[in-house]
Amino acid sequence: MKLNKIILSFVSALVILFSTSVASFAKVVGDKIILGAAISLTGKYSSNGVHTQNGYNMAVDRINSMGGVKVGGKTYKFDIIYYDDESNPKRAAQLAERLISQDGVEFMLGPYSSGLTKAIAPVTEKYGVPMVEANGASRSLFTKGYKYLFAVLAPANLYLDVAIDLAVEKNNGKPVTVAMAFEQDAFSQDVRLGVLDAIKRTGSKKVIDDKLPKELNDMAATLVKVKQMKPDVLVVSGHTKGALTAIRQISEMKVDVPMLAMTHCDAAKLSKQHGKNSQYALCASQWHKTLTYKDNFFKDGMTYDADFTKEFGYAPPYQAAESSAALLVFKDAFERANSFDQKKVRDALAATNMQTFYGNIKFAEGGQNVDKPMVLFQVMCDDGGKCENKVVAPTKWASAKLIHPIPSWSKR
Amino acid sequence: MKNNIILYVGILIFGIAAPFIFPAFKVQLSILCVLIVLATTWNIQGGEMGYNSFGNILFYGLGMYLCASVQVGMFFPLAEWTESGGEKTFVHTPTQFFQGMAVGLIVAAVVPTIVAGLIGYSILGLRGHYFAICTLGLGVAAGEISGGIEIIGAGQGFTTPPFPDVGSLDSRGEFFYFLSFFTLVLTFIAVRSIYSTRFKLILNAIRDNEDKAEAMGIETMKYKIIGWMISAFFCGLAGGIMGGLVGYIDSTDVAFDGREMGVFMVLMAILGGKGTLWGPIIGATVFHIFKEGFWTFFLGWQYVALGVLIVVIVIYFPEGIMGWLREKYPERFGEVVDEKDRKAQVELK
Repeated sequence: MKLNKIILSFVSALVILFSTSVASFAKVVGDKIILGAAISLTGKYSSNGVHTQNGYNMAVDRINSMGGVKVGGKTYKFDIIYYDDESNPKRAAQLAERLISQDGVEFMLGPYSSGLTKAIAPVTEKYGVPMVEANGASRSLFTKGYKYLFAVLAPANLYLDVAIDLAVEKNNGKPVTVAMAFEQDAFSQDVRLGVLDAIKRTGSKKVIDDKLPKELNDMAATLVKVKQMKPDVLVVSGHTKGALTAIRQISEMKVDVPMLAMTHCDAAKLSKQHGKNSQYALCASQWHKTLTYKDNFFKDGMTYDADFTKEFGYAPPYQAAESSAALLVFKDAFERANSFDQKKVRDALAATNMQTFYGNIKFAEGGQNVDKPMVLFQVMCDDGGKCENKVVAPTKWASAKLIHPIPSWSKR
Repeated sequence: MKNNIILYVGILIFGIAAPFIFPAFKVQLSILCVLIVLATTWNIQGGEMGYNSFGNILFYGLGMYLCASVQVGMFFPLAEWTESGGEKTFVHTPTQFFQGMAVGLIVAAVVPTIVAGLIGYSILGLRGHYFAICTLGLGVAAGEISGGIEIIGAGQGFTTPPFPDVGSLDSRGEFFYFLSFFTLVLTFIAVRSIYSTRFKLILNAIRDNEDKAEAMGIETMKYKIIGWMISAFFCGLAGGIMGGLVGYIDSTDVAFDGREMGVFMVLMAILGGKGTLWGPIIGATVFHIFKEGFWTFFLGWQYVALGVLIVVIVIYFPEGIMGWLREKYPERFGEVVDEKDRKAQVELK
């Protein structure tokens, strides 16, 4: 049969194609330390993926231009191989495998979001590739006994439990009623666990507990319930789209609630996109530019904010800041390890104890950063309609006083 | 026949040697095997039977969740494994892991088959695009529903048991490669032997004219359901393997991934040429290579490139690669063209 010939030649063409496409990279080429990263450039996390990438790039440029990394008396520069994981865990795991086994990367930076980090961590762990990640906050990442995973951020369950405490405090220490709406994804569901803990601790009551679909763009059903039940606090978390959807529909439907607590307000550029409609929203953040941490590369939060805005044309959300910090951690660890041996770098990472513009970084046994508290900021607008995020809690960093309760829409 | 045996032995040897020739590509090769299985089994009802199903992703996702759940549930409390996004850590011993995987894969294949029988009974009465749309809904619904079931991790996802500490670093890749390659061989043998029976002719009869087939005394419903059940069996198996390979199951992004896998399996079969044995295999291979290439060279634009590819396929290869080859070189497919007769017909016009 002639058909077989076609298929045979096809198979041999395949063999040739595969064998020629084996590129040989190595972790350190010449004076370059090559890091690998799978980033969500497309898909539902694309905006935060870009924040992450910008954060990484900014730090790479800065570290390289300020002398690079000194290991064994030689100066090296950082370089990053990026792939697009399309906000898909399956793709992310596949790319991690590809970065390590095909591109020969020996050190990794994290992806965006907890779900994707959960998919990548088993791969990096298996190969013993140290990964410093800046955007996977899910608590379960740090209880798996991973030895090569280091997160510069605080775990997700700490995001919004402070808000419940704050509401109780404003309610003269009496329990409050809480309405919750969380996207069905690893991160948001973890934030939910934190809020549930806080509800239990304060003896409060949850009156609504909705799970919202991914790619969140409608939560009207929840908001109708909120209008009926009149809870003291409404907690919403669903990455950037969740924040945008919440504000859009709350303002459209004129939902009055004394406290609105959210995540991802700065990543969604809420104050810019929705202006006065986003006013009074309370947001959990890993970082804020007014915090007074310092380092040699970015100086402090304000300088980072200015430099980042100059380079990328928008103010850095915390996702960018923490991503930049990941590179500072890597640099520090390489220099302390004074070697490119993965085990030595891993041990150096575990012993990290430093301050960056983003906050103090010190890893617990599980790999999470235990030396940096979360902050809450509130969107505040002046009469001219110019809105700004101001830190209101914890008191140590507060630059403004919390406005509570939120005035009703009829008075705004 | 002799040529055939040489071809099959050649491919078999290539398949067995592949992970050692291209050690860095083990994961991609495993995924390729899974893709071929999906495309080939989609072709049973999509190509041979003419029922375009977007619902096979249901069986794939079901198999994935079932395999992982059984693998965990056999040795540890499943609810504790998935609680709070999987905070508790249990470690499978190698024996537990492989036993669990084996039982899990059996369940992952059998249950979707039964489900396909039940669903098929109720919806295979629909025809044409009504059937397609109905099956499209199946995958979407399954994704949303599974995202709310706490015991399988709900929105937090489900981390499948990590590969135990046996052998070298490459063991995991090799294990999953051979598992998926074995499944591929199994699928191929099954599909090939099915295609050489009367069953295939009945499927084709249903595709070409269902009413006429019925009028000829064929119980079309029975055969439609059996056809779909065969697909479901292998889809479930493929899903179970993929779950272990990825290591993390998310309801809509990994398991019931209708947007990607669900569409890809249709696309691969069409690209290769539906209604042929080799079409889906060639389609899946070409598609996978193109896709990996796009992801490397068109970073951020890969979907645009993929879209262009689809447009090109639809315009220039409406019958798929096999169909195109067949039209171009009919004699290689054992079709004899009587040049005189052909000319006579052309001139008649």
